Amino acid sequence: MRALCWNGINDLRVETVPDPVIVNPHDAMLRVTMSTTCGSDLHFIDGYIPTMRSGDVIGHEFMGEVVEVGPEVRQVRKGDRVVVPSFICCGSCWYCRHELWSLCDNTNPRADLQEPLLGYPTAGIYGYTHAFGGYAGAHAEYVRVPHADNDCFKVPEGLRDEQVVFFSDAAPTGYMGADFCGIQPGDTVAVWGCGGVGLMAIQSAYLLGAGRVIAIDRFPERLRMASERAGAETINYAEVDSVIEALKEMTGGRGPDACIEAVGMEAHGTGVQYAYDRTKQALHLATDRGEALRQAIVACRKGGTLVILGVYGVMDKFPLGVMMNKGLTVRTAQQHGQKYVPRLLEHAVRGELDPSYLATHRFSLEDAPRGYEMFKKKEDGCVRAVFVPSG
Amino acid sequence: MRALSVAVLRTATGVGFRAAFPAGRGVRPASEVNLSRPERAASALLGGVLLVRGLTRRSVGGAGIWVLGGILLYRGISGHSRLYEALGVNTAGVARREPGASEAAIEVRRSITIGRPADELYRFWREPGNLSRIVAPIGEVAPAGDGRTHWRVHVPLGRSLEWDARVMEDRPGELLRWESLEGADLPNEGSVSFRAAPRDWGTEVMLRFRFDPPGGVLGKAASERLSVVPGALAEKALRRFKSLVETGEIPTTERNPSARAGRGSD
Repeated sequence: MRALCWNGINDLRVETVPDPVIVNPHDAMLRVTMSTTCGSDLHFIDGYIPTMRSGDVIGHEFMGEVVEVGPEVRQVRKGDRVVVPSFICCGSCWYCRHELWSLCDNTNPRADLQEPLLGYPTAGIYGYTHAFGGYAGAHAEYVRVPHADNDCFKVPEGLRDEQVVFFSDAAPTGYMGADFCGIQPGDTVAVWGCGGVGLMAIQSAYLLGAGRVIAIDRFPERLRMASERAGAETINYAEVDSVIEALKEMTGGRGPDACIEAVGMEAHGTGVQYAYDRTKQALHLATDRGEALRQAIVACRKGGTLVILGVYGVMDKFPLGVMMNKGLTVRTAQQHGQKYVPRLLEHAVRGELDPSYLATHRFSLEDAPRGYEMFKKKEDGCVRAVFVPSG
Repeated sequence: MRALSVAVLRTATGVGFRAAFPAGRGVRPASEVNLSRPERAASALLGGVLLVRGLTRRSVGGAGIWVLGGILLYRGISGHSRLYEALGVNTAGVARREPGASEAAIEVRRSITIGRPADELYRFWREPGNLSRIVAPIGEVAPAGDGRTHWRVHVPLGRSLEWDARVMEDRPGELLRWESLEGADLPNEGSVSFRAAPRDWGTEVMLRFRFDPPGGVLGKAASERLSVVPGALAEKALRRFKSLVETGEIPTTERNPSARAGRGSD
């Protein structure tokens, strides 16, 4: 089959690779109908996340049609149109039973690579480094889905692929972020980053009862999207002296009740702190540039909630004392998609959430490297590129 | 890498060592030899590895590594350590310890929590077919009649270590302890024990085993380092046990390589 392969830093190519096969009894095989880029892919494309190997098939946000099932698969059937969260979850371990899905105990075959850094291994992910299991990714014609009964969600009639594909990752991640805020009716939530996850977090915060959502980014087209599509008030951090002062001004001097960071380890910013981070990361003295995260910590009201959705390495120079003295509650996780996908699909059916506007650019799988290039450089207002294997 | 060094060390303490240092033709007079055979082998081996590594690294650190490598290699070949001489240490006359009796034995303990009752886990472990699946990447275990099991553990370069083991203690739902029998390639002793975990966690399972290091001061140091390997293997076996019991399968990317063939897949 054809698949998008990582061949080294900034070297993606579409190649012919072996077809996946069903090996475990709960596996299903999907013909991918649509997959999409994710900002977290950029971290290993740029070489900031280790344990990639030459030839790795990438891509973890996808949907498709079931073409084959293993002998123990009971609910999912051949022909089903399904969306699959990016984390592979068994559904049986303690973490899955407690809806902490991305912490699943039983889906990372390379737990030994991950445990030294994290202390304990997490669930595996499709196409996202060998430390996260070394599973083949979904920017491909076919993908093997372990624990199919647990991880495949049937798509209701009447929804197009563009409306559904983001329920694999961007939407549940954003929704989880808003859920973590513990929003009380009328609360103000600030969201750093207006990419797919940030935009979904803004809409989710409103769905969960926020009074106001304030979005922070520097790209005018993304801020316009946050305002027009998601209904947020906006701050362009490149145009204000201080994001923190701007937020104070907008909130009667209190600060936002909750802050969601949806940027990650390659944050951009202005000023000395950003230059310092950028230099250290370029010299491989640090893995992360944490400008957005530091801002969120300072901006959050006292006793507020800080939610970290961005992907980080092992960041240094972290203002722990600020967090501690302000009594912030910190919530963070990789997405527990299996918990949120059913209710997101309900929102979609009721017409309350339609993420299809994220798909600003559509490519055939053969042109996926170009899609990533546009996505990375945010060319032509690209928010997300989607790939269609048969397109 | 670590797994490889186990195999190499074993080769060095066995055939390789004897071939390199035939009895009676030592480089130094016997009176000056103050290192035991296994320690000489370990020293020579470690020295050789460091020498090669150091030479392939063009840096100040690299130079330091190859100088150290050279010292260890010389020490191994000559059987003489100036440091030991100065400290009055002599390991040449140290007798090989009996299995299980030495204070230098290496013990490995690893635990995992599994969401099932202890009785079920105990029964699952006792099924020879299940045990084989659990240890599959590490080796093979098969019933050998007369209440014994035959173990074969793979080490790199196509070699393996084999032994027969017999259950010495059996408390259903609680503990199973076994010992290797006479003639084992690597004399060892081990147990798996089960105890209830708090709340709804299920059962805490501990896998423990103990084996003897090759001997000598450096040999012991090497073995302590090498205990990382059996520790990782024990952990892997426990994880496979847990996944098999909890989900009915073991996570794998077998036959579904992510990386290109030949670059190693899992």
